[in-house]
Amino acid sequence: MHGDAVRHDRVKYAFIWPAFIIVLVITIFPLIYALTVSFQSVRLVPPLPPRFVGFDNYVDILSSQRFWGSTWTTATIVFASVAFQYALGFLLALALHHNVRGSSLYRVVFLLPMFIAPVCVALIARMVFHPYLGPVNDAMVGLGFGNLPFLTEPALAIMVLISIETWQWTPFVTLLMLAGLQSMPSEVFEAARVDDIGPWRRFWDLTFPMLLPLSVAVIFIRLIEGFKVIDTVFVLTGGGPGTATETLTLFAYNEGFKKFNLGMTSALSFVFLIVVIVFGTIYLAAARRLMKRYA
Amino acid sequence: MENRSLRTIGLVGCLVWLFFSFFPLYWVFVTAFKPPLAVSQGATYIPFIDFQPTLQAFRDAFSGIRGDFFGPIVASISISVVATALSVFLGAMAAYSLVRFEFRIRLMSGLMFGVISIGGFVLLNGTFDIDVPYALLIVLVLALVVSIWMNKFALPGPVLGNNDVTFWFVSQRMFPPIVSAFALFLLYAEVGRAGFPLLDSYLGMVLAYTAFGLPFSVWLMRDFFSTVPVEVEEAAQVDNIGRMRIFIQIVLPMSLPGLLATSMIVLAFIWNEFLFALLLTSGDWQTLPILLAGQQSSRGDEWWAISVAALIAIIPMVVIAAILGRMMRSGLLSGSIK
Amino acid sequence: MKRLLLSTVAFAALGAGTAMACEPDYTGVTLNVSTQNGPAIASALAAAAVGWEERTCGTVNVIEFPFGELYPKFLTAMSQQTGDFDVIGFVPAWLPDFSTFLSSMPAELQEGSNWDDIHPVYRERLMTWNGEVKSATMDGDMHMLNLRADLLEDPDEMAAFEAAYGYPLAAPVTWAQYYDQAEFFHRPDDGLFGTAEAYRRGGQQFWYFFSHAASYTNNPSNPGSMFFDPETMDAQINNPGWLRALEEYKRGLDFNPPGALNNGSGDVRPLYAGGTVAMNIDWADSGVLGSTEGSIEGHVRTAMLPGSTEIWNHVSGEWDTFDEVVHSPFLAFGGWQLAVPADSENPEAAWDFVAEVISPEVSGQAIVTANSGVNPYRFSHYDNLENWSSVFSEEEAASYLGAQRASLDAPNVALDLRLPGFFSYTEILEIELSKALAGQVTPQEALDAIAEGWDALTDEFGRDTQLAAYRASVGLPPM
Repeated sequence: MHGDAVRHDRVKYAFIWPAFIIVLVITIFPLIYALTVSFQSVRLVPPLPPRFVGFDNYVDILSSQRFWGSTWTTATIVFASVAFQYALGFLLALALHHNVRGSSLYRVVFLLPMFIAPVCVALIARMVFHPYLGPVNDAMVGLGFGNLPFLTEPALAIMVLISIETWQWTPFVTLLMLAGLQSMPSEVFEAARVDDIGPWRRFWDLTFPMLLPLSVAVIFIRLIEGFKVIDTVFVLTGGGPGTATETLTLFAYNEGFKKFNLGMTSALSFVFLIVVIVFGTIYLAAARRLMKRYA
Repeated sequence: MENRSLRTIGLVGCLVWLFFSFFPLYWVFVTAFKPPLAVSQGATYIPFIDFQPTLQAFRDAFSGIRGDFFGPIVASISISVVATALSVFLGAMAAYSLVRFEFRIRLMSGLMFGVISIGGFVLLNGTFDIDVPYALLIVLVLALVVSIWMNKFALPGPVLGNNDVTFWFVSQRMFPPIVSAFALFLLYAEVGRAGFPLLDSYLGMVLAYTAFGLPFSVWLMRDFFSTVPVEVEEAAQVDNIGRMRIFIQIVLPMSLPGLLATSMIVLAFIWNEFLFALLLTSGDWQTLPILLAGQQSSRGDEWWAISVAALIAIIPMVVIAAILGRMMRSGLLSGSIK
Repeated sequence: MKRLLLSTVAFAALGAGTAMACEPDYTGVTLNVSTQNGPAIASALAAAAVGWEERTCGTVNVIEFPFGELYPKFLTAMSQQTGDFDVIGFVPAWLPDFSTFLSSMPAELQEGSNWDDIHPVYRERLMTWNGEVKSATMDGDMHMLNLRADLLEDPDEMAAFEAAYGYPLAAPVTWAQYYDQAEFFHRPDDGLFGTAEAYRRGGQQFWYFFSHAASYTNNPSNPGSMFFDPETMDAQINNPGWLRALEEYKRGLDFNPPGALNNGSGDVRPLYAGGTVAMNIDWADSGVLGSTEGSIEGHVRTAMLPGSTEIWNHVSGEWDTFDEVVHSPFLAFGGWQLAVPADSENPEAAWDFVAEVISPEVSGQAIVTANSGVNPYRFSHYDNLENWSSVFSEEEAASYLGAQRASLDAPNVALDLRLPGFFSYTEILEIELSKALAGQVTPQEALDAIAEGWDALTDEFGRDTQLAAYRASVGLPPM
């Protein structure tokens, strides 16, 4: 493996410092600002002077029903859609990798949804799911349902949001898993074929374990990004009815950009950050153990 | 045999997904050509049969009634491409070092960095009223120097390794963008006041967006690099070729699928980013997502106009997706491993 | 950018032969004028810019932002004094929050025939805050009742209606009549629905709710008591007048097309213009849309909002009855305002541009230009009927202008809510309102929750300051 000389090679700093510095410079001030403001009551409007309130903002958030409600809503949408994204994305990647008929067309079309701006996707979805003038409604009428309140009935609205997230982000998984599949050394598979191991076992014993690190990374990113879903909700339901479909970022957005209640929003951001970090650490530890089992 | 039935299932699955994926895009495309009545009186599907297509929506868009389109298009393309390139290259470099080398950072010195930077900033800015950019600069340099120096000593507490460094990179994406957008706006405004305009500037946007893309690049490229066999590099090292040359001439080409995939992902995120673009730009560098959001006008969701705007925003992405998608044809790139 | 280039080229071509006197001379001055995404308002500003650039040799750069992001964008820029904008076009409800960052209108603009031409309701109520004139109205807004002559004047419909309801078919004068007509014209099988109103959270729905409520809560004996008690600042929003308004507003869902719960203000317009509904409540845009792009051309009629013979009296705790119907037209939204931020680097030129946009000539042109988003607000706008011939037929114009003028002149006109921290108040309102509409809570529960939330906010912001602000916004003298 690596020798001592390699381990302490000074050039490693040259490799990592540019990235490190750029990220640090851009993110350190927001962090400091948010941290200090979260302990104060800072409102831009009405222009009250900031005053130190200690942990009040945090207490308010943690005891607010709206916070827990939005966390629950966000978690439901994210976990369900990421599960779909991963399963579908992986399957599609496999199909593309094995050159299913028409692969070259699929490759382009499958990737498209991911490249469309979320606000755009939301507007399109609003058109498509319109309960009176949209094509989905026509399909439902054909099936005998007709005029379902897609966007105003909480359960249906959440299902619509999950499908939109799945539609948009499955390509993300497909793309990365495909790259992963293509990076796998082909000798192993040739050997397996010679040994006449069936495709099912080939998948579970070879492909899946080899791609496990990548899968973990992909799911992790999707979960983190998914937690920040806001555009689709904002455009489709506005968070309603009531706060039934309000997600965490939408809640933060209303607090921060409409009411300019910056103290509260900063506290909310930190609570959110802590939750995600805790969750992320647990997830990665569990994933690491899973990988060791397979490796 | 089983292969054939699997292939059929695969084919059917792909076709179903193709329909599901493609239908909304088709809808947008067709709606852009619809006259208003073809929208407000129920869903219509096929041009020339259900309705008479018209170019009016396109004419409206390009005549500038609904907002200047050309400016944001140019802004989006130039900012996104450069920020993506920077972010992927620098991120790949960082990922490479995280895979091939070992970093050891003591938790204590990390904490010390945090304490000095945060406490120092509050002190300098709050108590001594030093301007934000200068306070920040002083504090950063000081904290970095002190914590690096401290790292040399055998401090108590756990030692953080490569995985934790990577986690730090990714954790930057976990922070909800609302407050960080506002804070970054504040920072840019302050720096602008100190004489270096960052708001509504090309440099400011590229800097911010590069910082956004880096977590993705680092995280994703780390996995792709770990599949690159290390023997090739070791062989090159024996020949005394510098690390950087090895990186650029050997490692990068070998991980091309991953590199391309990561580039596409970073590009997609930067291209579609809305919140920071809204706050950090004004008249000169407004990007496409802001323009798109504005199509949800109070005049009524004029779907034909929205569709035209959406198409204009999508087309550059379609081109890129087509180019890169074809480069991912199975076998074309994986052969480079040999 | 292109607009800028084109106007500069045009100007250069025009000025080639003649000696152009720049009056006043703003050569080299570039104004950044910002508002929501066009065409509404932005195109009016761009059109005015052409004339202004010609006159003063300055340049105008129109910057547009999404409507939903306008408030945070302006507030962050002005609070940090970035000098990004020289003129902003914004919503009057935001004036209390913005006023500390705005410069005052120069005294020269506050006198003369142009000043007097602006209708007093817009002039005295919307353009001032804290005793200073901080903004200029460039657009007049109020909620109207939009009707269709092809239905109202059809002999068969008239006969059938009178037979069923016992009184002649005409523009509804009370809300009871409004619902009668909505019920009468609600024929889903024929593709015709009774009415269209906005119900969606985030779709400006609460203004529609206010329009209903004004009729039952804006008591002439207790001026300014619609939203809060003008003596104590206690929220009035859960009194029986509001309850009745909410119940009726909710009842309207029965006569709306399907999916009404998700309709924003933008959705009710094409429904009316496309002939899907018999009438709607909306700003003046519906009427213009109907006669220019809709299928009901020639049949657009506009009326004042329905009123009521019963209004709640919060002092006596009882309903007051009146012999005649009392109309309380609601000046929903108020009308886009132009202002000059205090950190602008060219305040003189900026106010000069503002004066150009609101001048009778330029604004008179804007109100009849399709898509400009500008509605009448000057006496001269209402008086000049011929100006409208490109948009309306004579009867349409007469009804359209007459209804607006009558609303403004009505003795019991109701003003919109304007308070510091506007969004905090309306957020609670929107959430509870949408819950009540969806049936998740009863109307009374929703209103009580809103009242509780509003009182808590008032305490947090400072009851005395809010009270003073509220009294000023409804035109009452300080306590």
